[in-house]
This record gives sequence, C-alpha cells and structure tokens, in this order.
Amino acid sequence: MIEQYYPIFVMIAGGVVFGVLMGKVNEFLGPSRPTEEKSSTYESGMEPIKTARERFSIKFYMVAMLFIIFDIEVVFLYPWAVSYKQLGIQGFVTMFVFIAVLLVGYIYVWRKGALEWD
Amino acid sequence: MGRQVLENLSNFWPETVLTITVCVAIVANLIFRKNAKLISYISLAGVLTAGFLVTRQIGMSQSVFSGMAAVDPFAVFFKLLIATTSVVIILFSMYSAEVQATFKRAGEYYSLLAALTLGMFLMAGATNLLMMVLAMELTSLSSYILAGYTKEAPDSSEASLKYIIYGALSSGLMLYGISIIFGLTGATDVYGVNRALVSGQTSYIALLVASILIIAGFGYKISAVPFHFWTPDVYEGAPVTITAFLSVASKAAGFAMMIRFFFMTLTVGAPLSDGTWLALQGFEWNKILAILSVLTMTLGNLVAVWQNNLKRLLAYSSIAHAGYMLMGVVVLSDKGLAAVLIYFVVYLFMNLGAFYVVMLVANKTGSEDIDSYKGMGYRSPLIGVAMVIFFISLTGLPPTAGFIGKLFLFVALLDAKWIWLAVVGAINSVVSLYYYVRVLRNMFLRDPEGDAGLIRFSPGQVIILLVLLIPTLLFGIYYAPIVEFANASVLMFRIQ
Repeated sequence: MIEQYYPIFVMIAGGVVFGVLMGKVNEFLGPSRPTEEKSSTYESGMEPIKTARERFSIKFYMVAMLFIIFDIEVVFLYPWAVSYKQLGIQGFVTMFVFIAVLLVGYIYVWRKGALEWD
Repeated sequence: MGRQVLENLSNFWPETVLTITVCVAIVANLIFRKNAKLISYISLAGVLTAGFLVTRQIGMSQSVFSGMAAVDPFAVFFKLLIATTSVVIILFSMYSAEVQATFKRAGEYYSLLAALTLGMFLMAGATNLLMMVLAMELTSLSSYILAGYTKEAPDSSEASLKYIIYGALSSGLMLYGISIIFGLTGATDVYGVNRALVSGQTSYIALLVASILIIAGFGYKISAVPFHFWTPDVYEGAPVTITAFLSVASKAAGFAMMIRFFFMTLTVGAPLSDGTWLALQGFEWNKILAILSVLTMTLGNLVAVWQNNLKRLLAYSSIAHAGYMLMGVVVLSDKGLAAVLIYFVVYLFMNLGAFYVVMLVANKTGSEDIDSYKGMGYRSPLIGVAMVIFFISLTGLPPTAGFIGKLFLFVALLDAKWIWLAVVGAINSVVSLYYYVRVLRNMFLRDPEGDAGLIRFSPGQVIILLVLLIPTLLFGIYYAPIVEFANASVLMFRIQ
C-alpha cells in the first residue's frame, strides 16, 4: 500500500533539497548589498508597521468587486476553452450568451465611470 | 442534447424575457440618461410580456432542465401572482415621489425590479434544492439593494444593512440544512430526496435538525416568527414601493418554494383521493409549522397594536398574515393549499392597496405617522373610503375579499380537525380589528392638525387606486373564478 506513494516521497524530498540548495547557493555566490528600501517587507508597497486603524478610500472596494466579477468570467472561460471541441456549437452559443450578459455589465460600469479613479 | 435544451428553453420564455428586460433596462439607462419614464415603460413592457407568456403555460405540467425547475399549474399560479404584483409596483413607482426624486438611477431601480421578479419566478418553479438556493439568493440580493435604494435617507441604508445581515444568516442556515439533507439522501432534486426518505431508514434526529434549519431559511423569506426581526425595520426604511413588493411577491415566492419543498420531499408520495397528504412516517413536520403559525400571527398582531408608524404597522400586519397563511399549509390537504392560494390573490389586492394609500399620502404630507392621518377622511374622501375598504378586508370582515380568504382557510382547518388552531386564528382576527380601526378612527373621528386643505390626485393615480379597490370588493361577492383557479392550481409536477 505505502509503496504506491513512494514516488511522492521522492518528489517531496527532491523539492526540499532543491529549494534549500538553490537558496544557499544564491547566498554564497551572489553579491549582497542591502539597503533600507530593499530589506523592508513590501519594497514598493505600504509601510508595514503602523496603526491598523487607518482609513483608506472606498474606491478600493469598487476595484476589488469589479476585479472579482471579471476574474470569474475568465475562470469560466478556461474549462470551456479546454472542452471546446466536445461542447460544439451549443457550448459556443451558451458561452456567448454568458459573455454578452457580462458585456452589458462592463458597458454599464464603464459608462457610469466606475473605472476612473477620480 | 442541443435539441433538448432548445425544447426546455421554449418552456422557459417568461424567465428569458425577464432576463432580456434586465439587460435592456440597464443599457437604456446609459443611452437615455435623462428619461426615467422610458425605462419604466421598458420594464413594464418586459414584465407584461413575461406575464402573458406565463398565461400560455396554463395547464402544462412538466419538468425542465433535467429536473431543475417545473412548469406546472402551481408554479404558473404563483408566477401570475408575482407578475401582477410586479406590474402594479412599476405603476406605483411612476407616481412615487421617493423614486422619481432619484431619476438618475432609474435604470438600476427598474432593472433590479425585473431581476427580483425573475428570481421569484425561479423560486416558484424550483424543484432542485440547489436551484432553490440560487433563486432565493437572486431574489434576496436584488431586494437588499432595492431596500437601500434611496441611499440619501439614513433609515433606508439601515434597512438594507439589516436585511443583508439577517438574510445572510438565514440562507447560511438553510444551506447547512440542505447539505444535511443531501448527506442523508444523496440527492438534490426534491423527487430523489423524497424517494430516498420514503424507502430508506433515515435518522429521525438528523431529519428534524435539517428541517428546522431549512425552515429558518423559508421563515426568513415569509417573515415568520422567530425569523421576522428584519421585517419592521426593512419595511419602514425601504421605499414604499419596494415595501409593498416585498410584502406580497417576496412572501408569495417564499410560500411557493416552502410548500413545494415540504409537500414534495417530506410526504408519502401523492395525495390520497380526498386530497389529504400524509407526512413521512414518524416525522410530523406540520406540527412544527403549526407552532410557527400560532407564534407568527399572535406576535404580529399584538405588536402591531403599539405601532405609530403606518409602514411598521403594516409590516407587523403582514407578519400576522403570513401566520394565517401558514395555517393552510399545516392542514396538509389540497383544500388547505387552495385556501392559501385564494388568500394570496386576495392579499395581493388589499395589501398593495393599503401600501398605495400610504404612498399617496406620504407623497403629499411627507409623513407615514398614524397621527398625520388625522382628518384624512375629510381632506380626501376617496383616500378615506379606500383605506376603510382595504383595512376591513385585511381584518377579514364581509363583504370584502379578505373575508373570503379567511373563510376558505378556516373551512380547510375545521375539515382537518385543527379546531384549536382555527380558534387561535379567529381570536387573532379580532385583535387585528383594533389596530386597523385605530387608523380609521384617526381618519374620520379626529380633526386634522395643522394643514387641513383638501388633497387632490391625478387621474392616473385614481385609476390605479380603483384597479386595486374594485377587486377587493368584487372578490368578496363574486369569488367563484379565483376559487376555481386556485383549486386547479394545487397540482404540482411529480415524477410517476
């Protein structure tokens, strides 16, 4: 029973060894010139240490929601694209109805100015 | 397979038309930004077309989309009811000062109304537990937004937020219940669940827990006690048009889905020849509903007595009416179901009428307090008389339609020997008389405070009022057609 999983253990061991090895090789061979910017948690992001109760613009929520909607559209497109041949013309029509509905939403979002930051 | 889908689609025209209406209303709003009237006409045309297409389905009985939904007399009845409500609400909206003040967002309003109608159509026909959840979510999400539509008013936003919180909790509970049902039976369509429950040995406790969780979901939709807490706040904060819509159509859709779920899954097959259904062996779920019914009508009526805002009063009154209608489900007979359907037709006209009067008065006076109705009977005799008729009908006194609705409910109860429940129902009707008459007293027996001028209405507003008023009186005397239609509509599609 356990023999069947043998390749997986080899894979895990190989992965761990390879990962650690590469990290160490990089550390020994690569140049190391740290600056304050480089060693901060988010090099080009927000300050990592300060009060968490900061107010930030509600526009972020809008962007996040729009992102999710159109992201999910893409998620649905992948399985359709993979099984495109089996689904045939019916799948094609169904997908275009789906995209058409989303397109209405997209036009609405666009014309209402939700994609503009200001 | 393609042909099968097309065949199913041909039974799905009303829903398709509503979907198109949603999209067209959104796009029309972008093109004709200033023209709110046009968008309301588009959505009116869409819903009317959908309603007309539903009438073509009368007499059909089949399952569509591999058991996801059923097109049967029961679903058609509720779809007609919902479409009628939707048409009336769109007409209301054209005259509502609250809605007209926000004409820039009219496209959102009308497209969400169409989406709400679509969700309720799906609820009426859903025969698969997943479809039920999806339809309910579509309905809920649209109504959350519509409840907060007048976002400039703080109580409207509050209503929306409370609605979301309660809604999320109850749909979570319901989903959990459904997952237990799926675990017990291995099926998600109501027929498969029923087959597994009838044949197999299922754990009684698990079934009880699952049913109670599912009742929490349905109870929230029909605002039954103890899942009613959102109702008064949402009804008070939402625009009157949406309140009226929620109080009739949302409740109807919830009842349709609940009845189908319980009668299709938790009974022993088809009804007996005399039209009575048998609950599953050892699991008398109708007793749970009986308790809910008593709680709902008693609490609704008793709390309504203390209300000073007419919208809150009508909210509690609508809770009480949900309790009355639950009595028809409890008796487990075709007669009881028919009584519920009759009651819904009657309730549609009288409740929408009462909310319409509230809206007309609020348009003129800007207030929904019962005190602001002092002397209203003299300031506008038409409004006064209309309110008397709607409230007498809501109480259930002859010769109005409300009496017929209650009569058939009580007959069904007495036939099934649920005498104590009938007595509780009758006592509750008496209690309700008190708070309805309190408003009428203000209208006719109190002098107006402050402004006492006459209130006039446009011909269009009067016509809408008469459209609701005449059936409320007419069905009190000539009720044979709705009774016949309701009796023919208790048939639910089932796999032989």
